[in-house]
Amino acid sequence: MSMVSFQHFPIYAILVLFLGAFVVTAFGRKGTVRHVVAMLCASISLLLLLALIKPVMIQGETIAYWLGNRVPAGGYAIGIALEVDALNLFFGLLVTVALFVSTVYSLSYMTHDEHQAEYYTLLMLLGGGVLGMVLSGDIFNMYVMVEILTFSAVALTAFRSKVYGALEAAFKYLVVGSIGSTCILAGVIMLYAQAHTLNFAQLSALIPGNMTPATKVAFALLLVGFATKSFIVPFHPLAADAHGAAPASISVLISGVLTKSGLYGIIRIVYMLFGTMQLGAIQLLLVFVGSVSMFVCVTMALAQHDFKRLLAFHSISQIGYVLTAVGLATGLGLSAGLYHAMNHTLFKGLLFLAAGAVLHETGTTDLDKLGGLSKRMPHTTALFLIGAFSISGIPPFNGFASKWMIYQATYQKAVESGNIGYVLVTVVALVTSTLTLASFVKVTQSVFFGQLPKELENVREVPVGMRIAMGIFAVLCVLTGVFPNLVTAYLTEPAARAALNALGYIDSMMGAGYAESVMVTPPAPVAVSFAASGVWAPVNWLLLLCVALLGITVVASLGKYESVSERSGERVAAKYQLFYGGEANWDAQVGGGDLFWGFKHNWRHYFDFMHALHSGIVNDYAQWALVALALAVVVLQIVL
Amino acid sequence: MITFNYMVSFFLIVLGLYCIITKYNLVKTVIGMSVMDYGVNLLIISIGFHPGGTAPIFTPGELNPTSFFVDPIPQALTLTSIVIGACVTAMSLALVIRIEESYGTLDTREIRRLRG
Repeated sequence: MSMVSFQHFPIYAILVLFLGAFVVTAFGRKGTVRHVVAMLCASISLLLLLALIKPVMIQGETIAYWLGNRVPAGGYAIGIALEVDALNLFFGLLVTVALFVSTVYSLSYMTHDEHQAEYYTLLMLLGGGVLGMVLSGDIFNMYVMVEILTFSAVALTAFRSKVYGALEAAFKYLVVGSIGSTCILAGVIMLYAQAHTLNFAQLSALIPGNMTPATKVAFALLLVGFATKSFIVPFHPLAADAHGAAPASISVLISGVLTKSGLYGIIRIVYMLFGTMQLGAIQLLLVFVGSVSMFVCVTMALAQHDFKRLLAFHSISQIGYVLTAVGLATGLGLSAGLYHAMNHTLFKGLLFLAAGAVLHETGTTDLDKLGGLSKRMPHTTALFLIGAFSISGIPPFNGFASKWMIYQATYQKAVESGNIGYVLVTVVALVTSTLTLASFVKVTQSVFFGQLPKELENVREVPVGMRIAMGIFAVLCVLTGVFPNLVTAYLTEPAARAALNALGYIDSMMGAGYAESVMVTPPAPVAVSFAASGVWAPVNWLLLLCVALLGITVVASLGKYESVSERSGERVAAKYQLFYGGEANWDAQVGGGDLFWGFKHNWRHYFDFMHALHSGIVNDYAQWALVALALAVVVLQIVL
Repeated sequence: MITFNYMVSFFLIVLGLYCIITKYNLVKTVIGMSVMDYGVNLLIISIGFHPGGTAPIFTPGELNPTSFFVDPIPQALTLTSIVIGACVTAMSLALVIRIEESYGTLDTREIRRLRG
């Protein structure tokens, strides 16, 4: 096939989804019609992007596509462009795979809902919006696509409006989400005021080296805007609310795809548009936010009683890993972050679908009401376990491969930069992984094992269509875990190379030599190394373990000693005495929420604090967004 | 002259944010979002304004290097942004109606079933 025909694939992949949305609205009264149209659109769009793997990922082509063939005139981009290099394609593939599986799952999952034509319309719009955002080469177009995806995501969050809290979740998401969108718009227009173009490549050539206070504010606005879309701290409560209320097939997209669009935006602006990733301060900023997201969200997850809400907090915790790795600004870090982003889409999708399967059959996601489902839903249990092992980073599943690379990358960064703080990041990543495992032990025990409650005696296995959808994710989880070399060679390393290759991105859009002639300091083509540099010495870790244990001992001995009798006083119910060897209560029922009671009890001040902070009041969440924006503006004015 | 526009647009954005953060009524939250949007729209349109420029409407052949007109691109962007703003308002008001129906209140402090 000639190169020319490949040029059109990205726009077709986007258009087919938007077209599908309209066709479903017009002719979707009949179930078969909307099912066929939705499946057809999702498959076509997936196939079109899969066909691009060979030219873009392997042969290293970059597709620069001008809509209506309005090519740049007089050195100015006047048309709207799509640009697909390996990074765009990487995220595009995540989007289309998740959309495809979600559609397969929806066919059986949504059968009991009303207004299904509207559901598929919104689903296609959501897919088209995200795909349009990650394939676009025009920053205003990105903003429009961000709005489309936010709208459809909000509408789909409230789709099951009878679900507890669905409307409220959607409203909060809409308020903070549109603050984020407004930030993006304001950032875009401030860049336009400085550079008089909206083309991403041209902006990437004109902005770096010409930073004014206004572009720094624009940077802060864009950063915060995309952060709201990826739900990193302090926007994580929105994700938790939205996931809990949305249908599981939509949770897959919100967690697997929406967060990725935000991450894609962040990667593009920090690496390319502002070209700031060589600055230590920016690296520290991203790594710090990533690490905080990682840790805060995993501890929040420990305190949850709702299956999907718990998964939502884990989802953001994993996004924290990705952001941390991306913030390292090394080839290995970037490749590891993208690898983890991919794995996150796969295992998180699988887990949400399993949660949806449980909800579909039992009608609840309350961990305290579930139990023993492995006897009734063996296939779902097995698939869920694959997802749980993957997210906890247990070999040979994919979470292990990417987390291992992230540990290596952070440690390598510590050695290279001599900044001991990065070792701390490695430790936080390890601790978070442990807490993730702990939390999934809790979920597995309280949903799939343990006693089967009387009300759930009649539960059956989910329809085969839903199991197929979960199976696709499960197989991908195993494959990407067993063949990490293939994944890095054909997917993440080309994408990482593309993210670092600003020169190539600009020139393939604006014409060869454009970057050289316009940029103040054209970035030299960098030789990117993906090798772990052999700094991964076990002895260091042994030393670190000793230091950490010593620290814990000191801190623990500082605390006030409480005897068991004091603790098991009035505020402790009989069932908790199990944790103090209360043999008299050996038959007490320990529900899902109680499993880590001992741990949570010791951390109660932290959990009380966090609980009060996540007040559920939309004003508070908006205030967090404002604080984040203010901090970002101040910090970026100082460090840039 | 144009500096005044920037000041007003900044003021509107801040006023909108202030409204969202301090007002506990859902309808006022929606108003705050709209005001913030208007502020950004004013910012966009001001950025494209050249004092003394004409409207950017020309027939083929009429356009020459001495033509002095305001930048049409921000106007197109503003139109898009206005449409999106109207959608946001419509959608959030629809949600507010449904919330009022099921919660019986518009006070954000009482609409917090999901927390912690």
